[in-house]
Amino acid sequence: MFSSIDFNKLLQLFVYDPQDHLFFSTSFFLFLFLAMLIVYRLAAKSKNAKIFTIILFSLFFYYKNSGYFFLLLFLSTFLNFYFGNWLYKTKSSGFKRLLFVLALVIDLGLLGYFKYTNFFLRILNDLHAGNFQPLDILLPVGISFYTFKAMSYVIELYIGSMEPTNSLKEFCLYMFFFPNILAGPIDRAEAFLPQVQNDITVTKEDIGRAVFLIMCGLFKKNVIADYIGINFVDRVYQVPLRFTGVENLLATYGYALQVYCDFSGYTDMAIGISLLLGYKLMDNFNVPFIATSVADYWRRWHISLSTWLLDYMFKPLQMSFRKWRIYGSAVAIFLTFFAVGLWHGANWTYVVFGLIHSTYLAVSLLTIKYRKAFYDKLHLTGTKFLKVFQIIITFHLLLIGAVVFKADSLKTAKNVFHQIFYFFHGVVFFQWIQGYSKVAILILLGYILHFIPKSIDKKVQNLITESPLVVQAMLLAVMIIVVVQVESAQLQPVIYFNF
Amino acid sequence: MISERLKQIILKELNLSNFDFKDETTANQVPGWDSFNHINVILAIEKDYDIHFKGLEILKIKNIGELQKLVDTKLQS
Repeated sequence: MFSSIDFNKLLQLFVYDPQDHLFFSTSFFLFLFLAMLIVYRLAAKSKNAKIFTIILFSLFFYYKNSGYFFLLLFLSTFLNFYFGNWLYKTKSSGFKRLLFVLALVIDLGLLGYFKYTNFFLRILNDLHAGNFQPLDILLPVGISFYTFKAMSYVIELYIGSMEPTNSLKEFCLYMFFFPNILAGPIDRAEAFLPQVQNDITVTKEDIGRAVFLIMCGLFKKNVIADYIGINFVDRVYQVPLRFTGVENLLATYGYALQVYCDFSGYTDMAIGISLLLGYKLMDNFNVPFIATSVADYWRRWHISLSTWLLDYMFKPLQMSFRKWRIYGSAVAIFLTFFAVGLWHGANWTYVVFGLIHSTYLAVSLLTIKYRKAFYDKLHLTGTKFLKVFQIIITFHLLLIGAVVFKADSLKTAKNVFHQIFYFFHGVVFFQWIQGYSKVAILILLGYILHFIPKSIDKKVQNLITESPLVVQAMLLAVMIIVVVQVESAQLQPVIYFNF
Repeated sequence: MISERLKQIILKELNLSNFDFKDETTANQVPGWDSFNHINVILAIEKDYDIHFKGLEILKIKNIGELQKLVDTKLQS
């Protein structure tokens, strides 16, 4: 019986292969995760056994996705654990500050080396400061996410708003936790560590919510995002000049939805998988396209990153510049969004993306009084009309940022805008509907699902929770079958893995 | 317990007629107290009490109760 099994091939499945990743939606992951859940349940009586099961699985998961870069994860984990605990115990405020700065320099230094070295060399070349060849540096997947997680621990200890953990094992679990290691949410140590310390219980509601979220995530990521991305958006953005303005505009509407479904779908799966292990991760999205202002959008989009930067960068800067009052806040906005842009990657498009959003926010801040007075004068304050108007305007302001975010260069972004404004050809819309009917249906469906009231989401979730476990498993199986039917031959990584 | 003076400073700065502040109330539960207005509230408190907060002291605060305690400490020192 076993003679037909090629053990070498089987073994290869467990070895890092840059072409074969272990993402949530792969059948190999689902198989391994089920096996791990069984071990986890068997180990239910021993807290240590449960922790080590997750730690080992997480390390394997990270190794399968990034190879020997897991050593860097070890380094970051140990450094931040010992630095954090050391600075917390230190009495001298000067020495405490020194340790804190040292920890930040190491964290940002590592992140900067892997992420920005070649970008920096490119800038030097552009400035004719030399002729540097790009270095052969690979970006360790998830480094931006786990570095920010580690930094949150050290920062909170420095501020004094949390107690350190004396258990390296608990801190390792926080840092290695496989559901959020590759693309967040960037959970705070302050919220995660108490969960490790408490007794873990998985309620019926948790399981129902987990099944609901995993199903939503699979549909959003593997059906909507991947399909419209491969079959339409990517094609247009590769050579925008080959398409009319209306197609460029539709591709941009499509991209806004794609990036939302891709990232929030992945996050839904991460939160759902964590719930099955008894851990609650923070929410990362809250219907972002319903935002009535750009500031409101940042309270709804990638919440774990925006709150991280708000707490650890914007607020301290705002405090430092408080003498300049509103103008101080505007400077803090520009600096924070410069970081937001750069966090997403080493490319001018991301810097400009940050600049666009900081300009929106600064203008909004400086004109808020006048706009309010204007709305009051027209008796529009609090009306539905104003809300819908603000949602539409905000969404289209976001689209301008999305063009720059998606484009591989500023020239490509310029070409997209050129086609939209100077080569629109609105009649092509009807040909597009015929030629891209499936894409059109998915874009429409995606936006409809996005705007569905939360109360309906909750009702579906409750319905799943009240169903027998067999039905829940069947629902999940049906969704997996749908995904397999729609999925492209090549596995599509989550867009945010590159950040 | 939030003092009437602190309550009035916050209400005035946020243009609110009234709000039931409790010790555990956080900024995001109070209408208008967003990240932009936060600094205005802090500046108004500093001005009214003639005190000066350090950056870290403000960052550490989690709710209004802790803000009241910080103000009290500043007034005693």
